Amino acid sequence: MDRAVLLLSVLSLGVSSQPITEGQRLFSIAVERVHNLHLLAQRLFTEFESSLQTEEQRQLNKIFLQDFCNSDYIISPIDKHETQRSSVLKLLSISYRLIESWEFPSRSLSVGPAARNQISPKLSELKTGILLLIGANQDGAEMFPDSSTLQLAPYGNYYQSLGADESLRRTYELLACFKKDMHKVETYLTVAKCRLSPEANCTL
Amino acid sequence: MKKVVEVILLLLLLVFTPHAKGTGNSPPGKPTLTRCRSPEKETFTCWWEPGSDGGLPTTFALYYRKETSETVYECPDYHTAGKNSCFFNKNDTSIWVNYNITVVATNALGSTFSDPVDIDVVYIVKPNPPERVTVIVLEDKSWPFLRVSWEPPHKADTRSGWITLVYQIRVKLEQEKDWEMHHAGQQKMFNIFSLRSGGTYLVQVRCKPDHGFWSEWSSTSYVKVPDYFHREKSVWILIAVFSAFIFLILTWLLHMNSRSLKHCILPPVPGPKIKGFDKQLLKNGKSEEIFSALVVCDFPPTTSSNYEDLLVEYLEVYVPEEQELMLEESKDLHDGCLKSESSTSDSDSGRGSCDSHTLLMDKCGEAKEEERHTDQERMGTEAEDMVSPDMSSGRVKTWPSVFSPLPQYSSNTLDEQSSLEMAKQHYLSDSLFLPSSTSSYLTQPGHGTKEALGPSYWEFCLSNKQPHLLHPQTQARQQLQAHSDVNISSIGRKEAPACLQSPLLRPTEYVEVQRVNEDIVLLQPVVSGCGQNNCSPQMPQGKDYSKVKGVDSDNKLLLQREIMEEDRCPCEHQETNGVRENCYMSSAVTTTQKPTAMLVQDEMVLGVNGYVDTATMCTPPTY
Repeated sequence: MDRAVLLLSVLSLGVSSQPITEGQRLFSIAVERVHNLHLLAQRLFTEFESSLQTEEQRQLNKIFLQDFCNSDYIISPIDKHETQRSSVLKLLSISYRLIESWEFPSRSLSVGPAARNQISPKLSELKTGILLLIGANQDGAEMFPDSSTLQLAPYGNYYQSLGADESLRRTYELLACFKKDMHKVETYLTVAKCRLSPEANCTL
Repeated sequence: MKKVVEVILLLLLLVFTPHAKGTGNSPPGKPTLTRCRSPEKETFTCWWEPGSDGGLPTTFALYYRKETSETVYECPDYHTAGKNSCFFNKNDTSIWVNYNITVVATNALGSTFSDPVDIDVVYIVKPNPPERVTVIVLEDKSWPFLRVSWEPPHKADTRSGWITLVYQIRVKLEQEKDWEMHHAGQQKMFNIFSLRSGGTYLVQVRCKPDHGFWSEWSSTSYVKVPDYFHREKSVWILIAVFSAFIFLILTWLLHMNSRSLKHCILPPVPGPKIKGFDKQLLKNGKSEEIFSALVVCDFPPTTSSNYEDLLVEYLEVYVPEEQELMLEESKDLHDGCLKSESSTSDSDSGRGSCDSHTLLMDKCGEAKEEERHTDQERMGTEAEDMVSPDMSSGRVKTWPSVFSPLPQYSSNTLDEQSSLEMAKQHYLSDSLFLPSSTSSYLTQPGHGTKEALGPSYWEFCLSNKQPHLLHPQTQARQQLQAHSDVNISSIGRKEAPACLQSPLLRPTEYVEVQRVNEDIVLLQPVVSGCGQNNCSPQMPQGKDYSKVKGVDSDNKLLLQREIMEEDRCPCEHQETNGVRENCYMSSAVTTTQKPTAMLVQDEMVLGVNGYVDTATMCTPPTY
């Protein structure tokens, strides 16, 4: 008797969680991938920074504030409040755009040939995954509620114009921006995942 | 002098500087931002260290600028976080935005800017330690373990996934120094096993965001593990007792069955089962004795069986019945060789000597002869057959022993002497023999005395014949010639060589025949050398008288000379008695029907009979 009840409950849970499970699985994969990318970006940045002279480092700090990343045009929530206010779809789309923005420039990340080779395909894979998630979560007519989020500014030209200049400063900026954007995507995806999971406790 | 001045100046300076300090003001020293931290990635706080204040009350101000704009903002909250701190609340905090923060120290005289610091809130997160850490002792199949559980810091929003925390636990015994670290991941519960019974454990937990700093350790939780050692001990005691008991039983069993076990494990070594093998001899180490002991009489069996077929059974010679003996012997002689082995105490076990047909006969004949002789010795009455002494050297050797006592008899009677003489005459050298034999032969009938020759006489061809023998021989020859009995002479001749023949084979010793009486013939060893003329030259001649020419009226056997071996001197036996002719010749033997005796009747034994072998001795026929 008890066994039967248990079995039924498990089955019901399984059935109910069936569609969400798939999404959750995809989310989990996406979160894990972006997490790894972020770690990679962090490592690259740290290595680059350590290779710099103290004098150069000071100069870079001063300059850095004046520059901005290519992905600044992408409006993204910058605090928790905004993030939680955004819908899952918005978050996913932003993430998608961020990843996409780095597909091309990641090739110019000159810190180690191995890293350059790894980043670009990983970004492509992640982009595909996010696209899947968008497709899975595109229930509803909220296709493009916020036009701001869909402002696809031409990004490719920005870095291309300056791609020739492989200066130290540029490398530094690239690495810093890359690291930041990866963390953004990670956060957005995590928030979106936790929002979709029925468990109260999101820390799986 | 100068030095003194310098010293004074120095002193003055020292005196005045504090005074100057106290009175003078200077702009404040440069403050430094020590750190900025965000506990939950929503707010953050920065702390700075002020420099020298310059003797005047100094105020501090913190200005910051966000990366995207040039607007400078001042710290909104100086008090919440304590002294020399600036607290940024949620509204003022932007993530993924670089903050450029500067602290300014200001006093009456001036202000000093600190070095700017760039921070990104995401990377300065250091959460608070986990809260509500609880440790309880649970049991897993009677083995205790610790279960540690906690909660994330209340400020950290892990539920929405805004911040992801990983946890770490460390445990140690109260009296120990080193902590045992455990990484718990994102879970909020952890089990610790392998505890020492009766010990007190200290447990602490801390956490860290995925990109950030480790929090401080939580407050220590104490827990005492109950004693379970006694349970362990009792089990071991039980096992020990049980094993001891089993050990005792095994020992007792082994003791009871020690013998059979010994037999099973270490089986006794079987001893050698070789016939005739003596362990004692082996131990003594005398190899010769051992090997001699191993020699078994009936080995090899096959030869002996064949031997049996070829040989005649042993003769049983017993003293009382001479005649029987003789007869027996005669019969036996025909059959084959005798097993002389038994008769002679010859250590030489080589029966091969008997293997050859001829030799066998010879030897048997010899053996028989020997036997006869021995018997005669004992008895002293038997007439002995003529035995060819030319057997194996071994046999011949026995001759002297056999015949040594003979001389006793020789001196008995004149007749004996005469017979001896006669006998001597028989010794051969061929040509001489002839006449001698014939003469003897002839003389006998002439004299009509058989005594001279007797029914049996032995003719022995001795190597060393005395010249005196020859003499009679010559005389005999002459006599013979005188008789002009051709046949006889021929016979004699025949006989002579016959007698000679035997020595051909083994011209080693000759025995003198001495007739004691009619029936007894004594043999004496002849010391004298052989009649050279007679013996040696005759030896090589292979003449023998083996063919019976005929029987004369006197029941004499006439033998003709044949180139055959003949052992029959006895052909001369001119015996009135029927002589059985033992002239067996290999070629053709015609035995006389006449029982004319050959000299010998009983006494004649023959050793060899019928053997017409040069090797054989002239043997008187026996029958």
